[in-house]
Amino acid sequence: MNWYPIFLREILIFERRLLRLGYVVSAFLMPLLYLLAFGLGLGRRVNISGGSYLNYLLPGLIAMSSMINAYTWVANGLTMGRLYFQTFQVYVQAPVSASAIVWGQVASGIVRGLLSSLILLILGVAIGSGLNLNLMFLLALTVNCLLFAAMGVVVGMRSKSHEDTANFSNFFIMPMAFFSGTFFPIKQMPGVLQVIVTCLPLTHTNHLLRSPFWDLNSLISLGILAAYSLGCLALAIFLVRNYSE
Amino acid sequence: MIAIDHLSKRYRQDILALDDLTLNIEAGEIFGLLGPNGAGKTTLIKILTGLTKPTQGTATIAGFDVVRQPMEVKKLIGVSPQEINLDKELTAYENLLIYGKLHQVPDLKSRIQELLEAGELTDRARHRVREFSGGMQRRLLMLRAIMSRPRVLFLDEPTVGLDPQVRRRLWDLINQFKAEGITVLLTTHYIEEAEILCDRVGILNRGRLIALDTPQALTARTGGYTVECLRNGRRYYEFVNDREEANRCALQETQGVTIRRTNLEDVFLKLTGESLAGKTEA
Repeated sequence: MNWYPIFLREILIFERRLLRLGYVVSAFLMPLLYLLAFGLGLGRRVNISGGSYLNYLLPGLIAMSSMINAYTWVANGLTMGRLYFQTFQVYVQAPVSASAIVWGQVASGIVRGLLSSLILLILGVAIGSGLNLNLMFLLALTVNCLLFAAMGVVVGMRSKSHEDTANFSNFFIMPMAFFSGTFFPIKQMPGVLQVIVTCLPLTHTNHLLRSPFWDLNSLISLGILAAYSLGCLALAIFLVRNYSE
Repeated sequence: MIAIDHLSKRYRQDILALDDLTLNIEAGEIFGLLGPNGAGKTTLIKILTGLTKPTQGTATIAGFDVVRQPMEVKKLIGVSPQEINLDKELTAYENLLIYGKLHQVPDLKSRIQELLEAGELTDRARHRVREFSGGMQRRLLMLRAIMSRPRVLFLDEPTVGLDPQVRRRLWDLINQFKAEGITVLLTTHYIEEAEILCDRVGILNRGRLIALDTPQALTARTGGYTVECLRNGRRYYEFVNDREEANRCALQETQGVTIRRTNLEDVFLKLTGESLAGKTEA
């Protein structure tokens, strides 16, 4: 499967944009602000599940930031490439399979998601937060990036304009970032909301990043993330394969 | 090389972009599709290159069906679209590199050097495409299209918006492709471009092929000479066979009379009563 050229192109463009301040600000500054404002403001006073708030907050911010970065770049890049720059058409006219196109995009989304996580990790450790960094943590983080990159492909393929991707982000991605146990435990929510939130994938990423242990609960959460990922990947490949203007 | 058989494309319910088009394009020729905006030229190229699916009919390239065997077709074609879809934030070299890897071009590095030299872009290889002039971008777009040594090349409005000097350089490049044995399907609404470059021309109007022949035969059939004149502020055209008849015809007119050789624009005018630019004439 010839996915590498697609990945290479995305990464080269990403590299160019990283050097432009606007992109860095929008992609990395927001979770950083949360970390500093909530973490330093509440972090020393509030205790959640026996630990400091900063320790509670950091994994949540990593989950949120990796989700937003994996999703946004892929969804926006694909929407703009398909509708405005027509660079997506180059892929379609080349002898590469739909799966190669999707995997190239998703792989680039994973890199972007992991990079933003890394920045938060370094910062979090620097201001004194303890994390359980193990294989399960890394696995959950990677699957989370994969899932939202694949979702980015689905949205990027379906959007009829730039506003569509922004709307999906405003009505689905952002609420999920706030309600899936990023800033406070979902046990503090009303019952109905708890059920809804438990169905959302990011809730399970949060759970896994906070307690990355090889127990039944974690495996169930990982299974749910994997199922969502497979669903999004299959849909993404279907949409690319049946692309017709 | 390209066989198009009763091809139709309908967008939504009401827009018929291609209407029962049947056409054969021979190996090694430069075939020009001429027609006003919205005639269906780009739609045809999109179908042949796998960007959109036809509503009815079939098309094959070198015997491969464009809908059922897209991978085989895509290995044989190169496309230079109307919209310049290079990655403008990347360098010329990077643009060619990614395209070459997508198409699994052998000896990629030396092929890229070869193409950059052919396009006189070697010293700009490491510059971002956004810094290039329109003519240079078009040239790079065309070089990218021939990178995988395609047997069929699609050029959709290859010289649109360029000044005449730059246009001529691109024509030289296109003639070079023909010399290498590549079949070229080119769309244009520049009359001169079709007359100079193309072995045969098909004229499309509202999704239908209304004329098909060599440029010389098409103009000869319309009448070798055109008499253009002004009556009550409107332009009228008479198509006549020889110079004497043209003179006689011109003598009957009083205002703004011109006699000239018939061109492909006149062919279109005679067939449709409309000019290629789209406004209705008598």
